Amino acid sequence: MPISNWVPDHMSTIKMILKELWHRKVNFLLGVLAVATAVAFFVAFQTAARASNRETARLMLSMGYNLHIIAGEADVGTFLMTGVASETMPEAYVDKLANQKNISYNHLSATLERQIPWRNLQVILTGLAPEICPPGHKKPPMIFQVDPGTAYLGYQLAHQLGIKKSDTIEVNGTSLKVVKCLTESGGMDDMRIQCHLADAQKILEAPARISEIQAVDCLCFVEGADPVEILRREIGAILPGTQILQAKSVADARAKQRQMVYKVFGVMLPFVIVACGVWIAVLTVMNVRERQTEIGLLRALGYGTGKIGGLFLGKALLIGVFGAVAGFLLGAGLSLGFGPEIFKLTARTTVQPEWSVFLRGLYTAPLFAMVASFIPVMFAVSYDPATTLREE
Amino acid sequence: MILVNDVTKAYPTRAGQVKALDSISLEIAQGEFVAVRGPSGSGKTTLLMAIAGMLRPSAGTVKVGQQDIYELNQRDRAAFRAKNIGFVFQMFHLVPYLNISENILLAPRVGGEDNRSSEAARLLDQLGLAGRATHKPAELSAGEKQRTAIARALLNRPKVILADEPTGNLDPDNADTVVKYLCDFQRGGGTVVVATHGPAAEACATRVIHLRDGRLDEAH
Repeated sequence: MPISNWVPDHMSTIKMILKELWHRKVNFLLGVLAVATAVAFFVAFQTAARASNRETARLMLSMGYNLHIIAGEADVGTFLMTGVASETMPEAYVDKLANQKNISYNHLSATLERQIPWRNLQVILTGLAPEICPPGHKKPPMIFQVDPGTAYLGYQLAHQLGIKKSDTIEVNGTSLKVVKCLTESGGMDDMRIQCHLADAQKILEAPARISEIQAVDCLCFVEGADPVEILRREIGAILPGTQILQAKSVADARAKQRQMVYKVFGVMLPFVIVACGVWIAVLTVMNVRERQTEIGLLRALGYGTGKIGGLFLGKALLIGVFGAVAGFLLGAGLSLGFGPEIFKLTARTTVQPEWSVFLRGLYTAPLFAMVASFIPVMFAVSYDPATTLREE
Repeated sequence: MILVNDVTKAYPTRAGQVKALDSISLEIAQGEFVAVRGPSGSGKTTLLMAIAGMLRPSAGTVKVGQQDIYELNQRDRAAFRAKNIGFVFQMFHLVPYLNISENILLAPRVGGEDNRSSEAARLLDQLGLAGRATHKPAELSAGEKQRTAIARALLNRPKVILADEPTGNLDPDNADTVVKYLCDFQRGGGTVVVATHGPAAEACATRVIHLRDGRLDEAH
């Protein structure tokens, strides 16, 4: 076979990079490991943050709504003591709120409540409208939905009056089928009849009226501002004359829970990224030092800064690409492995590979590796070949 | 061909300036084989680097052909060097992760030539390396490494070869072989400047110059 058949035409940059990677595998693998560590941490953070948000929402269901909007004429003292607003307001208010954009609340639920005598007991009749969300904020409902003509009965009521599921009760001439007798709550819910809003409006002879709009505010991350003031300003502009009350303990619990993941990762992520950046920079310095003679030779042969810089930055780029893939697999694997243990309620739906993070990683990780290598590479391209080759 | 005119290269040190070259003037015609002799530290390597355009003199000019090479910017000087000057080093300086044919082809393209691989193959054959084309430098003897370096220097058919102690790490037989290839290049019309300690290269030299403490030693 003629020799020219196995002699290449020239040495391209990419060919030299690949051959050098193969020759110095340990240096390459350590670089990939550094990028993979940073990417894996970021992937785990993204997955955990999303899962934590959903998990928190689920856990907070039991704590209920934290925002209460009542009529301007309602007595706040009575509302705070009894949980029932003394005055009503138009049902259309809830639609008005639901049709707003760029707002700081969600999970709107209109209710009509009143304390009424029933079968020699004082009970709370609560009419519930289906929960609605503003445009672009669609979320699964936080509470159960009650169909028209049906009722959910509090534990004490069912227990004291001997009412069972599937029984039919009559309230002020309206028949309601009991679809569920609730478990004991130890609170006012035990003395509550919950029915559809339309049924409650009929029973209480208050057509198209509601006594309260319940909601969840989304101001967990507002810093340096009072969320209540923001909500009052926002909602007050839409529904002038209404009163806005925030259950601070519930709101704070939500905010703290949601911020926890961000705080933990917020402290660790920059540290990990900087450490991995330094790691890559050190590896590049070692690589540059090891290849000083090669750099001097290339200079002596007539190669310019672009070719020499390209050899090192191209290597960093490949380290970034391989690191992104390895890091994503590692991060996703860890999330899928440990996620279900941490997020017991929602892991099945929320702990999933974040493909958007993978795509982002494919261009940010190479950029990260190239930036981390940049200063050592600048030293490499500025080596004086005469000095390097003479020292040898 | 090569005109070194009153070249001084000085390095600042704590003890003051040290002159590696001190007002050197030298004219080398095309087709000459010049051996530069002198003890270690006499400035031989510095002179070769200055002629190659890799070490800007503190004073004076260097012309290769009609071109004052330090009038060129760095990029043009690199291109000029790639086209006109081949370099052979004492330590061979082969890239360890490339095989022999790839090391030869490391000499950059200087034009649109499309016969580089056949030229590299011819050089491998001519220099007795045909069976070593796919070997890595670590698998070669010192003589084979230096012959590879010569093949790399010859690939672009330069006008000048600068060789810095090319036989310094070789046994006498291999040293003679390397000198023979340099002589062949000179007989083909090329210009050779060799920095050397020993007498091996002098057999082919058309002229021998001596350096001492950065100056031409007129005593020889």
